[in-house]
Amino acid sequence: MPQLRSLLPAILFTIAYAAVSLSVTNSYYQLVLTLVPVWAVFGLSWNLLSGYTGLISFGHAAFFGIGAYTTALGQIYFDLSPWLLIPIAAMLGGIAGLLIGFPTFRLQGHYFALAMLAYPLAILYVFEWLGFQEVTLPMKRDAPIAYMQFGDPRLYTLLALAIMLATIVLTRIIEQSRFGMALLAIKQNEAAAEAAGINTLAWKLRAITLSGAIAAAIGAFYAQVLLVVTPQSVFGMLVSAQALTVAMFGGVGTVWGPVIGSVILIPLAEILHAEAGDRFPGIQGVIFGFAIICVILVAPEGLFWKLRDLLRKRFPRKANAAPDASQPATATVTPLHTEPRKRAAGSEVVLEVRNLSRSFGGLKAVQNVSFKLHKNEILGIIGPNGAGKTTLFNLLNGFLRPDEGEVLIDGRNMSGERPHTICEAGIGRTFQVMRPFLRMSILDNVVVGAYVRAKTEDEARKLAADAVARVGLSDVADRVAGELSTKELRLMELARALAGQPRILLLDETLAGLGHGEADEVVAVIRQLARDGITIAIIEHTMQAMVRLVDSFVVLDHGAVITEGEPEVVTRDNRVIEAYLGKKWVAHAPH
Amino acid sequence: MTGNFQTKVTRRTLLAGASSALIASRAWAQQLSEVKVGLLVPISGMYARPGTVMRHGAEMAIDHINAQGGIKALGGAKMKLVVLDSGDSTEKAKNAAQRMVAQETDLVAASGAYLSSFTLAVTEVTERANLPVLTLSYSDLITDRGFKYVFQTSATAGSQARQALPQIIKLAESASGKRPKTVAILTDNTAASVASAKSMREGLLAENQLQLIVDETFTPPLADATSLVQKIRSAKPDLLFFLPTVISDAKLLLEKMNEFGLGQGKIPTISFGIAIAEPDMLQTVSPELLQGVLTCVASWGAKGHEALIAELKSRYKEPWMTQNAISTYGDMWVIKDALEKAGKADRVAVAEALRSMDAGPSKYYPLGEIKFDEKGRRLGAGMTIVQWQTGVPVTVFPPQLAMAQPFWPKS
Repeated sequence: MPQLRSLLPAILFTIAYAAVSLSVTNSYYQLVLTLVPVWAVFGLSWNLLSGYTGLISFGHAAFFGIGAYTTALGQIYFDLSPWLLIPIAAMLGGIAGLLIGFPTFRLQGHYFALAMLAYPLAILYVFEWLGFQEVTLPMKRDAPIAYMQFGDPRLYTLLALAIMLATIVLTRIIEQSRFGMALLAIKQNEAAAEAAGINTLAWKLRAITLSGAIAAAIGAFYAQVLLVVTPQSVFGMLVSAQALTVAMFGGVGTVWGPVIGSVILIPLAEILHAEAGDRFPGIQGVIFGFAIICVILVAPEGLFWKLRDLLRKRFPRKANAAPDASQPATATVTPLHTEPRKRAAGSEVVLEVRNLSRSFGGLKAVQNVSFKLHKNEILGIIGPNGAGKTTLFNLLNGFLRPDEGEVLIDGRNMSGERPHTICEAGIGRTFQVMRPFLRMSILDNVVVGAYVRAKTEDEARKLAADAVARVGLSDVADRVAGELSTKELRLMELARALAGQPRILLLDETLAGLGHGEADEVVAVIRQLARDGITIAIIEHTMQAMVRLVDSFVVLDHGAVITEGEPEVVTRDNRVIEAYLGKKWVAHAPH
Repeated sequence: MTGNFQTKVTRRTLLAGASSALIASRAWAQQLSEVKVGLLVPISGMYARPGTVMRHGAEMAIDHINAQGGIKALGGAKMKLVVLDSGDSTEKAKNAAQRMVAQETDLVAASGAYLSSFTLAVTEVTERANLPVLTLSYSDLITDRGFKYVFQTSATAGSQARQALPQIIKLAESASGKRPKTVAILTDNTAASVASAKSMREGLLAENQLQLIVDETFTPPLADATSLVQKIRSAKPDLLFFLPTVISDAKLLLEKMNEFGLGQGKIPTISFGIAIAEPDMLQTVSPELLQGVLTCVASWGAKGHEALIAELKSRYKEPWMTQNAISTYGDMWVIKDALEKAGKADRVAVAEALRSMDAGPSKYYPLGEIKFDEKGRRLGAGMTIVQWQTGVPVTVFPPQLAMAQPFWPKS
């Protein structure tokens, strides 16, 4: 639950808005006042899906229209009251969200956006074909209140405000729960989220269901305000665009964005239309478009973020300023325990790879690879660039399905499972190309990785704080990931993998891009993890640091294992030298 | 100017309360000897052109009324037109209507709003504000809702098809010597077209012993008419009923028909609605291609309107008078008559006058009387059939309004 304090601005805003609307008796201004929260709620519903997951929906009119037609047809054919029909519309919208989301989430990025565009347009034609070109809500002269046909238009505004406040509270709850965290993680990096144990499809489906329900509910209410429903006015392109416009203008990914956008744009459009429309027909569109272009140029993330950044710059938060002054804000690694770690060879096997193969067309990226990972071992997987190391990891953690072979975790075959399932089974991983959630703090980044183990929010926070401490980033845990150095990012990624309390860690080139001293610090952290009982497989193509770190090597070349064994033996192997340096260096190698 | 000042004050003092403003401005209007009438039509967006023509018609009527001494029952008060833009969407139209009733509190009546779906939304607002609205929109739904403040001057969509069909058949029979037996319907899926096509399919064709052999519905705008025309060519109907709303669709189909050797009367084409007879047609389609094409519309500049047509031509450069101009012209005169009858500049009184009005035969709408039934439909409302003849769509039916003899395209 969000704290009451965080809802205070929303409640105050609603009360102030209600007070203003109660004092307005001009029915036209009142209508504009009603439409502001209506479009704000529609923007919020869009924001819930697209703002937080980053999957842009061009088709939210589909849900809006379903809601609108539910109230219209429900009244005409079944004589139901809109008080009942609005919740029914929300239910139908949720179902539509689920039905639309399930196939469409197979697509990503622009493809998702374009596919979403198709739904309202297709439904629009269905409703035209069904003969619902123009549907008017029957006028109820004898029981207006029971049918939500108020004589006093202020009641519509109050009702719209109530829906808006409810949506804001709901969004807030989601924002501060693992639901919101999961969505943000998906937005910033879907693969990383999945690898961190988040079932991305399930969360996305939940998001689109909820989003569809809200959009349908407000669509249902909108029909009640407009009293006439036509396919164009509820399924049209402009309706979907309206959600994007208010959200993008105000700020994407925040509860305030759509509200700000709606409060400014809806009255602006109306005033321009009213004051200039008859003298300069169409001028309102020109000015409106111009205003939006200006905002896009000046504040591409939306007004809210721009204003927040400006305020932060002017009044930097004290919490941030204090540690900066007293101590350097870089990571300091906990002093090493010097006792040697007992070698693990011969103990129980925790991960076994059998005859694993994967081709991309004609390219055999991984062929017939087998090896065993023993408990508490540090295994180095080395090989020149393009040897298939990362592909191997992707097969292990479920990003790719193997063509052949098995991956046994504790004796159970997990090959072909989804990444989040494999993560749940106890395998964490980091990435060669770092995949931080840039707008989130270190701690929040790490919390995302903890949900796979934690049942409650508190537990997740605790696990995350723990993991951050283990990699030595506690002092900078509040900083935003976008401001960190490469080393800190590497450590943060490590912490994110650790937060899920894995038994096996797959580290993909964790030392890449680090200076000498920095690499040593990270190596020290990894050693400490191994000492704490975590089994580690690490990819590297620089051997130097690895020789001191690992218990044994698996050497890959052209996707196949060319040798494996203890570091001293492997580094002298001619085949290894040949693979790394070419044939002529074999002769020079010390024997 | 002072009237203007009055409304501005009303706008600004939001707290003042609508009722007191209403009383104040009403008293004002009587003192000023000026009566305000609203015109709520699209003057921006994709329907701006027809809306502008409606404005021409209204302006001409207001000038004529005022030149002839204004409203005599109100001491010669002048009529004043207040134009509001309904924009290009249902929501904009509804908002404009709300603005009209909230801010132009001294309007006595209004006319609008071109598209049926706009009129439906607008009248939801005006009904609750007791403001009488005259409309040329066709949809049967407009006057099927039990509303008391909307008056439909056109024959409804269903009724137009019912009136037109026997005339078309009679014309075909007398000109070609044989009665048409088979028909094709080609309609877009907009509300008015769908309503007309529906009434034909559900009984009208059968009543007239016509057999439907091709029935195609398309979504405007058409990208390509080839497949539609191929279906018509292979079925060879005696008549083609073509119901477009968008000018470009009308043009595309006529050209494709010609290309396939079906144009210029090979298969007589009868349209419904105004699109195919808009002046804009001539900018893209040659007059030869249009020659003989018939269209059924609710109203058209006709016999007895010659002076008006000439004035429209000289004043606004409109080549002919479409339904939009003549009907809106007529609306202003009907409102004027109602004001004379009501004897006061009050919207409820004007509505009451419209309901009980019996002003004899209609001058500006085709046939019938200036009298409305309990639904608000004009009694005996007729319709016109218009034919393209040497580059001008002229009224050829009904005979008492015809400006030229119809001819049946030879096949």
